[in-house]
Amino acid sequence: MCAIPLMVTGRMRRLDHVAELGFRVAAFSSAVATVGIFGFMAVLGYPLLTDGRLVEVLTSPWLPDQGAFGIFPMLAGTVLIASLAVLLAFPLSLGCASFVVVTGPRPLAGLLRKTVSVMTGVPTVIYGFVGVFLLVPVIRETFHHGSGMCILSAALCLAVLVSPTMILFFVDSFERVPLSQINAVDALGGTPVQKLLYVILPQAWPGVITGLVLGLGRAVGDTLIALMIAGNSVAIPHSMLDSARTLTAHIALIIAADFESLEFRTLFACGIVLYAFTALTVLLVRTVGTARKGAR
Amino acid sequence: MTDPIKIQIRNLSFFYDDFTVLDGISERFRENTISAIVGPSGKGKSTFLMVLNRLWEGMPGARMTGRVEISQKGDFQDIYRAGCSLPELRRLVGMVFQMPNPLPMSVYKNIAFPLKLAGVTNREHIDQRVEKALKRAFLWDEVKDRLQQNAMDLSGGQQQRLCIARALILEPEVLLLDEPTSSLDPRASEVIEALLVELKARCTLLVVSHYQDQVQRIADRVLELSDGRFIQRTTDESKSSHLLSLNCENSK
Amino acid sequence: MRGRAGEMLVIGYCWACALLLPGVLCCVLGFLILKGGHTLGLELIFGDTDPIDALLLRRPVFDGLFPAMVGTLSLVVLAVGLAIPVGISAGIYMAEYSRGAVKRCFSLLFDVLAGIPSIVVGLFGFSVAVFIHRHFSENIYPCLLISAVSLAFLVLPYLIRTTQVALEGVSESLRLTAPALGASRFQNIRYVLIPRALPGIISGVILSIGRCAEDTAVIMLTGVVATAGVPHTIFGGYEALPFFVYTVASQYADAQELSRGYGGAIVLLFLCGGLFFIAFGIKRRMMHRAVYRV
Repeated sequence: MCAIPLMVTGRMRRLDHVAELGFRVAAFSSAVATVGIFGFMAVLGYPLLTDGRLVEVLTSPWLPDQGAFGIFPMLAGTVLIASLAVLLAFPLSLGCASFVVVTGPRPLAGLLRKTVSVMTGVPTVIYGFVGVFLLVPVIRETFHHGSGMCILSAALCLAVLVSPTMILFFVDSFERVPLSQINAVDALGGTPVQKLLYVILPQAWPGVITGLVLGLGRAVGDTLIALMIAGNSVAIPHSMLDSARTLTAHIALIIAADFESLEFRTLFACGIVLYAFTALTVLLVRTVGTARKGAR
Repeated sequence: MTDPIKIQIRNLSFFYDDFTVLDGISERFRENTISAIVGPSGKGKSTFLMVLNRLWEGMPGARMTGRVEISQKGDFQDIYRAGCSLPELRRLVGMVFQMPNPLPMSVYKNIAFPLKLAGVTNREHIDQRVEKALKRAFLWDEVKDRLQQNAMDLSGGQQQRLCIARALILEPEVLLLDEPTSSLDPRASEVIEALLVELKARCTLLVVSHYQDQVQRIADRVLELSDGRFIQRTTDESKSSHLLSLNCENSK
Repeated sequence: MRGRAGEMLVIGYCWACALLLPGVLCCVLGFLILKGGHTLGLELIFGDTDPIDALLLRRPVFDGLFPAMVGTLSLVVLAVGLAIPVGISAGIYMAEYSRGAVKRCFSLLFDVLAGIPSIVVGLFGFSVAVFIHRHFSENIYPCLLISAVSLAFLVLPYLIRTTQVALEGVSESLRLTAPALGASRFQNIRYVLIPRALPGIISGVILSIGRCAEDTAVIMLTGVVATAGVPHTIFGGYEALPFFVYTVASQYADAQELSRGYGGAIVLLFLCGGLFFIAFGIKRRMMHRAVYRV
C-alpha cells in the first residue's frame, strides 16, 4: 500500500468540511435574503394591515389632500400598460422566433438571432431616453391629445424592451422539439409553415406560455419606462392616450416623502403587490413546466 | 498454487429505483488474477465495478444491499463500514474507464494528479513515481521527452495507457477496468492486453470486456453477468504466451 | 389556392416582424448618434477641466461625464465584488451538495429573487438604510455602500443560476474521473469541475457587471445624486451614468446639457454592449481551449 500519511487525509477532511460549510452558508444566506426582503416590507407595511385599511388601500384612489392613499390608480396603470405592452410584444416575438427557427433564410435567421441577443443588452434607460425625445413627440403630433406621455407610448417602448427576451425564449422552446419529428414532417413534404403550425407550436406551447408569463413579469416590474414616458398622473386612466402611473413609478416618486407617514407606507403595499405578483409568476412558470414534462 | 482471496462479496444486490441490476451475488476474487466479466450490453457490468470503489454513491435512485470486503495484509475489511474514507478506498482500488479521460493538462501533471490529491509534495518523490508508473503502463519510452506536452495531444491508445498509469501511481492493490480497449484499434489493444498480464503480478484485476478473444487471451477466470447474476464460464489457467514477447519492447 | 395564400401570409408576417425589430434598434441607434454623435470626445467626459488633472483627481470636473463614469465604476466593482463570493458559493452548493426538497425549495426562492422588480430591491435597500440610521448609527444615509449591497442582491440570482447550470453541465464521466483517483468532494470541485465550468461562470460574472452598470431603479432609491463629483467615500453620495441619462430626460437645463445627455446615452450603450460582447467572446474562446474528449 502506498505510504501516504493519515495526517494528510485528516487535513483534507477538514478542508472538505470547511468548504462545504462555506458553500452552505452562502446558499442559506441568499435564501434568507429572499424571504427577508418580503418580511421587511410586510413588517414595515404592517400598520396598513392592522387598521383594516389594506382593502381600502388597494381599491381607493390616490387623493392625498383628501387623506385617501389608495393605490388603485397605480394598480390600474400597471395592469393597463403591462397588458398592452405584452399584447404588442407577443405576436411580434412569435413572428420573429418563427423567422429565426423556420421561415427565414438561414443566414438572415442567424443574423436576426444575434441582433436580438444584442438587444437584450441595451439598458432600459436608453429606451426610455429615446422614447422621451423621439416617440413621445410623434405620438403627440399624431393624436393631438395631451403631451404624448401616455399609456400607449409607454406600452410601445415596453414592448420593444420585452420582445428580445421573449424571442430568445421562444426560439429555445422551438428548438427543443425533437429533430426526429422535424425530419418526419420534412420527409412527408411539409412546408415550413405547416411544420410550424402542426408540429412545432403544438409541442412547444408550454415554452410559449412560459415566455409570455416571463415577459409579463418583466413588463410589470419595469420602472424607468413607465416613469419617464407614461406621464405619472394619479387619475384613473380611461383611454390609451391618458397619462397613468404604475406601482413601480409610484415607488420612485413617493420615496422622498416622510418615512413615518401613511403616504410612505403605501409604498410597501406597492412592494408587496409586486413581490406577490413575482411569486405568482414563478409558480405559474413552474406549473407549466411540469405540465410539459407530464405531456411527454 | 492457489492465491489468497482478495475480494469477498456476499449477497450483493443493486437497484436503480425499482429495477434490479444485480441480484444476490456472492463471489470471491483471488489475489494476482485477472477476472473477466462479460455479458450483454447494459448497466450491470459497469455498475458491478462501481460497487467495488463506491463510485455509484450519489446517483439518483441507486441502492445497494449486501457485503463487500477487501483484504489488506490478510485482514478483511468491509468497504461500506461507517467511517471508511472514500479517498483512501480509491487509492486501494483503482479504476480505468472505457473512454480515456485525460484531464486537460500536461502528461506529467495528469499522472501526478492523484499524488497531488493525496497531498504528496516532495518533487523528487513525485518524479520517481511518475516515471515508475509510466514504465509499468508501457508508456515511458513514448512520452519521456514529452512530459510537459498536453495529454490531449496523445493518440487514443496512448491516452488510455496514460489513464492506466494515472491509476497505477497510487499502487492500488485492486484495479478495475471497464472495457479498456473498446475505443482502441487492434494494435493499441494488444499493447494494453500485454500490460494487463504484466500487472497481474502486482495487483488483482477485474476487467469488463466485450471481446471473446481478448477474454480468452488474458483472463484466468470468466464470469458472465446475466439477469443480475454471475454464471461461471471457464476457468482458464493457461495464458497465451505470444503476449509475453510484446512485453520485451516496452517494459523495463 | 387557399393553402398557398395562407402560407404566403404567414411567411410575409414573419418577414415583417423580422424587419421591424431590428428596424427599431436602428432607429434608436441612429437617433442617438444623429443627435449626440457630435459630442463624443474628451470634452464630453472631462468638460473644461484638463484630462490629466481630472484623472489624477486634482481638479473637479463640472459639465462632464467623468464623475458619473467613476461613480458607475466604483458601484460595479463594489457590488460585483460583494456578490461574486456569495453567488458562486451558493451556485456550487446548489449544483454539488443540495438534493431533494431543500434543492427544490432553494431553487424556487432563487427564481423569486431573480424576478423581484429592481425598484422593490431599491425600496428594500432604502428601508434598511433608514432602519440602520434610526437604530444604530446616525451617520448612515443612502450612499454608495447601500447601493452596492442592494445591487449585489439584484445580481445574486444570476450568479447563482449561471454557476449552477455551468456545473451541472459537466459530463458524468468527467465528474467521476477525480473521485476514482481518490479526490475528496472539494478537490473534485476545485481541480476539475470549476475549471470546466469556468466559461459559463465568467460570462455570468460579466453579465452581472453589465446589469449593475445599467441599473437605474435601485440606485435612484439608495443614494445616487445628480451632482456629487467623484465619490470620496463609500458612505457618501455619488453620480452614475444611467442616472445622468435619466435626469437629462426628465429635466435639462439647457441645450448643452441635452447634448451631453445624448452623448452619455451613447457612452452607456457602448459600455453595456461592449460588456455583452466580451462575455460572449470569453465564453467562445474558453470553450475552444477546454476541449474535452468525453
